[in-house]
Amino acid sequence: MADIRLVDVSKAYGNVRVIDNVTMTIGSGEFWVFLGPSGCGKSTLLRMIAGLEDINDGEIHIGDRRVDQLPPAERGVAMVFQNYALYPHMTVRQNMAFGLQNIRTPKDEIERRVDSAAKILELGHLIDRRPSQLSGGQRQRVAIGRAIVRDPKAFLFDEPLSNLDAGLRVRTRIEFAQLHQRMKTTMVFVTHDQTEAMTLADKIVVMNNRKIEQIGSPMEIYTRPASRFVAAFVGSPSMNFLPVKAVADKAGKALVTLGDGSVVETAIPTANLPKGGTFTFGIRPEFVRIEANGAIKGKADVVERLGDRTLAYVRLGDGSTVIASDTGISSLDTGHEIALGVDGASAHLFDDNNVAYSAA
Amino acid sequence: MSTVNATAAPAARTSVRSRGQTTSLGTKLITALTVVVAAIWFFPLYWAIVTSLKTDEETVRAGLRLLPEEPTLKGYLFVIQNSDLPIWYMNSVITSVIITIVSVLMSAGAGYAISQLKFPGRQILWTLILASFMVPVSALIVNHFIIIAGVKLLNTHLGIILPMLITPVTVIVYKQFFDSVPREYREAAVIDNANEFQMLFRIFLPMNWGVTTALAIITFIGAWNSFLWPFLAAQNEKMMTVTVGITAVQDSYGVAFARVLAGAVLAGLPVALAYLLFQKRVTQAITLSAGIKG
Repeated sequence: MADIRLVDVSKAYGNVRVIDNVTMTIGSGEFWVFLGPSGCGKSTLLRMIAGLEDINDGEIHIGDRRVDQLPPAERGVAMVFQNYALYPHMTVRQNMAFGLQNIRTPKDEIERRVDSAAKILELGHLIDRRPSQLSGGQRQRVAIGRAIVRDPKAFLFDEPLSNLDAGLRVRTRIEFAQLHQRMKTTMVFVTHDQTEAMTLADKIVVMNNRKIEQIGSPMEIYTRPASRFVAAFVGSPSMNFLPVKAVADKAGKALVTLGDGSVVETAIPTANLPKGGTFTFGIRPEFVRIEANGAIKGKADVVERLGDRTLAYVRLGDGSTVIASDTGISSLDTGHEIALGVDGASAHLFDDNNVAYSAA
Repeated sequence: MSTVNATAAPAARTSVRSRGQTTSLGTKLITALTVVVAAIWFFPLYWAIVTSLKTDEETVRAGLRLLPEEPTLKGYLFVIQNSDLPIWYMNSVITSVIITIVSVLMSAGAGYAISQLKFPGRQILWTLILASFMVPVSALIVNHFIIIAGVKLLNTHLGIILPMLITPVTVIVYKQFFDSVPREYREAAVIDNANEFQMLFRIFLPMNWGVTTALAIITFIGAWNSFLWPFLAAQNEKMMTVTVGITAVQDSYGVAFARVLAGAVLAGLPVALAYLLFQKRVTQAITLSAGIKG
């Protein structure tokens, strides 16, 4: 178990920078998730920690050792790949033992570690099978087992759930959480799936366009996004974005006027806002409620019933659309004229540079 | 509406049946053609085997006899007892086996290096290997002869073997195979602390032994059947391979067709056995290298 420190790490392919001055410290025993869309650089960052990609600038430390010049095998990390990369001609036991054989671990020690990992992952009955004789979930566990037997300082997971079907993905996700609780080892997990990130992570690193947008706990990321990208990327359905004009009320909080003329009181201090008064107003659908005496009027264009709640895509007077949420059994239907109430305390404003401003 | 359906249905059935009949007829024609071609191909082989079992007198008798009147192994016994065939056999086995093992090992190593490693001159090396296709073996034979004679390796096994180790096709097939292996396997092996030799021999090659087996068989057959270079490199009768030796049998026996063909059948026997035993692998090897030989 060790912390992982990245200091001003950069990576370029020729003239194209793929990672730009990344600095972060992953605490010992923490579970961090790199989250972002395809091509944002999250896998590259993970591979740089693993040593599978060189870095051009900066330093990487694992524990008290600087490792950026060390080969992957000497960094003390174990990695689980997206397609598991189990050696197809080897049995489960041979797959798990291969790395230990290469560092000349005594035979009985290899046996002990493999048996122990197999027991943890309930692979005992599959130990003599080849990968082709296993299901996707079983292969996943073998790949984790191969990592566990190395007794690494940190585990690196590169989108390990993306090849599993939806049901299995949920089950395996829970197993990952249990594994982390049991092993208390530093884990770094790459995914583009916000649900995986939100449910597994101690800290989420949201990345976009080769840069870190925000590092924070799942709830920080969700409730206080640092940028419009984070606000839009995390949360399903996505946050509502509306162009507004903002002025200060008597208490120094932003009072915003939507396109249809309705006014929303927020808890965002205006002292921090840039001058100009034009912003993008952001509010998550669950904070836009259907209320009989709500100030915002509109017509339900589309109604989605999700069981525990109902989502309404409401067209406002100016033609803009807002997603609103109605809890419980909703009688709402397409075409209904409805009124909306907004929880201004949970609203955000985004300036022209997409920087977010939230309630204090 | 129902009337229309009732009349349309039999028409559709007729159409299906006639299409089926056409396909069936086409298949039958192709099958018949294949059988004829196979018979034409097989007849010389059959004729050689049958003739090798005839007496010398019967081989020169007028008329076509498809079966020997008095089958005899005299031709075989004569060749085995009165020629150096066992020695030639041994020479062929030694040279072919060594060529197969060394060539496959070198090609696997070269293919792996070009596919997986980054080193200066890699692209030039690859281009040279590809370019070597443009030079036919016969154009190099004089150079080979001068070099091998210069290092005094004529009439030695090594002299026969060395120039035959140049097998760019197997290097290319291996490179293509290694290129097709997802990079995660190599990365997993890197994290597992495997060195390059372990990666090649414990990960990449065992992933598909079929490729190596197929290439080994086709290399062995090629080495066994090769004539031109062994003919030049082995002038001493005791160093000849089977393919070269049987020409000596032909020259010295004159019109003794049974003996000549008995020698030919014995010479081709290992290759025929290799084909029969490893038919699937030979086909795979031909498929693997087909795109390359174009």
